[in-house]
Amino acid sequence: MLAIRTEQLTKYYGKARGILDVDLEVRTGEIFGFLGPNGAGKSTTIRLLLDLIRPTSGHAEVLGLDAHRDRLAIDRRVAYLPGDLSLYGDLTGAQTLHYLGNLRGGVDTTYRDELVRRLELDPSSRIRSMSRGNRQKVGLVAAFQGRPELLVLDEPTSGLDPFVQLEFERLADEARREGRTSFISSHMLPEVEHLCDRVGIIREGRLLAVESIATLKERALRRLEIEFASPVPPDAFRDVPGVRDLRVDDARLSCTVMGSLDALVKAAAGFEVRGIRTQDTSLEEIFLAYYGAGPEAPHAAA
Amino acid sequence: MLLRSVFTKTVRDLRWPTFWTALALFVGGGYFTLLYPTYATQFKLTELLDQLPAAMKALIGAQVADVSTATGFLNIELFPMILPAVLAGFAIALGSGATAGEESRGTIDVLLSYPVPRWLVVTQKAAAIVLSVVVVAAGLWVGAVLGAAASNSPLDSGRVAEALVMAALLALDFGSIALLLASGTGNRGLGIGVSVALLVVMYFVNALAPVISGLDSVKQASLFFWYLESNPIRHGISIGDSLVLAAVAIALFLASLVAFERRDLAA
Ligand SMILES: Nc1ncnc2c1ncn2[C@@H]1O[C@H](COP(=O)(O)OP(=O)(O)O)[C@@H](O)[C@H]1O
Ligand SMILES: [Mg+2]
Repeated sequence: MLAIRTEQLTKYYGKARGILDVDLEVRTGEIFGFLGPNGAGKSTTIRLLLDLIRPTSGHAEVLGLDAHRDRLAIDRRVAYLPGDLSLYGDLTGAQTLHYLGNLRGGVDTTYRDELVRRLELDPSSRIRSMSRGNRQKVGLVAAFQGRPELLVLDEPTSGLDPFVQLEFERLADEARREGRTSFISSHMLPEVEHLCDRVGIIREGRLLAVESIATLKERALRRLEIEFASPVPPDAFRDVPGVRDLRVDDARLSCTVMGSLDALVKAAAGFEVRGIRTQDTSLEEIFLAYYGAGPEAPHAAA
Repeated sequence: MLLRSVFTKTVRDLRWPTFWTALALFVGGGYFTLLYPTYATQFKLTELLDQLPAAMKALIGAQVADVSTATGFLNIELFPMILPAVLAGFAIALGSGATAGEESRGTIDVLLSYPVPRWLVVTQKAAAIVLSVVVVAAGLWVGAVLGAAASNSPLDSGRVAEALVMAALLALDFGSIALLLASGTGNRGLGIGVSVALLVVMYFVNALAPVISGLDSVKQASLFFWYLESNPIRHGISIGDSLVLAAVAIALFLASLVAFERRDLAA
C-alpha cells in the first residue's frame, strides 16, 4: 500500500500557480524528502493532502483513503506539522500538548514525557514567550506523541538547533523502524539527505523527479579546489573519471566532480597537495545538471 | 480541564472578555435600578418625556414605556438601544473571531489536522459563544435585580428576564451574521464591519419607522422590529417574534457551516 498517492494534482490560487499535475507516490514505511526552493509548491501539496485546501483538479489519496472524503479517518492516523507553525500563545507547552492530545482522543503520556525530555523542551513556559526553536519543539512533540502511521512534516528542521535536529532525526528513524512513514519537506538537501530513503524534487509547481538518495549521491556534483605546492600539468587530470569543468592555473586546480572523489584524489596524490576545498553543490544544481531546467523555469542563481 | 475539546477550549478563550462584559452590564443594570428613585423624583421623568417631540421619543424608545416603575425606566434607558448594542457588539466580536481568529493567528492548520470535522469546530465555537452571551445577559439581570432590591424600586424581574431573552436572541442574530461572513471568507474585519453597519441601519429603520412613513413598509426587514415590536419588557416575551429571531440565527449558523466547509483555509 502507498502512504501517499496523488494523481495529476493541481492547485491554482485564482490565477496564481500553486502546483501543476503532481503525480507523487510515497511508500509505506519510508522517509520521503520533498524538496524544492521556496515557492515551489511544497506547502501547497501538503495542505492539499490534509484537506485544508481543495485541488483545482486531480486527486489525492492518503493511506489509501480519499484526502477530502475520508479526512477524519485520515486525520486519526496522520500527524501534521505546518510549515509556519502557529500555536496558541496563551497556552503553555504542556497545555498545548494536552489539548492537541485530547483532540486525538488522548495519547500515551509516558511517550509524551519521553519526547519532551529527549528534545529538552521546557513545557511550563507559555508558547507566547518561547523562542521559535522551542515552539518548533512543541510542534514536533505534538506530531510524534500520538505515534501516527504517517507524519507529514512541512520544513520541520527550520529553526532547530543542531542538537534538536539530531534528536528529530532519531525520532524519524525510530518511526521508520516501527514501519511508520514520514513525509518531510525541505528546501535544503543537506538537512534531510542522511535521513531520507527517497526524495522528490518540486520546482515551479511541478514534480520533476523522484530519486533514491543513493542514486542522487552517486550523481552529486561537488566543486573542488586543490592547491599544490608547485604548478601541475593539466593533462594529469584531464582524463580522471567524473571530472568536469577542469581548470588548472599553475599550482591551483578547480573542477566539478560527479560522484566519487576517489579517482581525483588519487591523481592529485602524485603531487604535493597544500590544501583541498570542496563545496557541495546545492540540490538545485544537482537537479538542474541532470534534469535540465524546464522551458518556463528560468535558471535561478544558486 | 478546560482543554478537553474545541468547546471547552473556546469557553476558556472567552472567559475574560465574557467576565468583563458581564461585569460591565452588571454594574450598568445595578446603576439604573439603584438610581431610579433619584431620577424619578428629581427629574420628574414622566413630565419630561411628555414634552419631547414624537421623533425624539421614538428614537429613545419612549413611546413604548412608562417611567413610573423601575421596569419601565429600564425599558427606556437600556432596552431599546444600549443593551442590544452592547450585547450585539459582544456577539459580533465573538462570532467574527470564531474561526477567522484561528485563521488569522495561523492556528487553524494545526487544529484541523486533528480528527474534528470542520462543521463541528464551528458548532462548538458557536455553542461557547451562545454561553457567553447568556452569561453577559445574566450579568445585567443580576445587577438590575440587586440594584432594585437595594433601592426598593419596583422591578418586575421576570419581565426583565423575558426581555433579556429576546435581546440575547437579537444579539445572536448579529453574531451569526458576523460568523457567516468571517467563517465564509476568513476575513474577520469584513465580518465585524458589515454586521455593525447592519446593526446601525436596522436600529434606525425600526426606530424611525413610526415617524418616517417610507420606513414603515420595510421595518419588518429590521431585526430590531422583531425584538421590540411586542414590547417584551412590558407584555412579556413574544414567542412568535422570538422564533423569528431564533430562526434567523439558526439559518445563518447553518449557512456558516456550509460556507466554512467549502473553503480553502488561509495558510
Ligand atoms: N494563499 C495563496 N494565495 C496565492 N498564492 C499562493 C498562496 N499560497 C501559496 N501561493 C503560491 O503558490 C506557490 C507555491 O507556494 P508554496 O506551496 O507555499 O511553496 P513552498 O512551500 O514550496 O515554499 C508560490 O508561488 C506561492 O506564492
Ligand atoms: Mg512552504
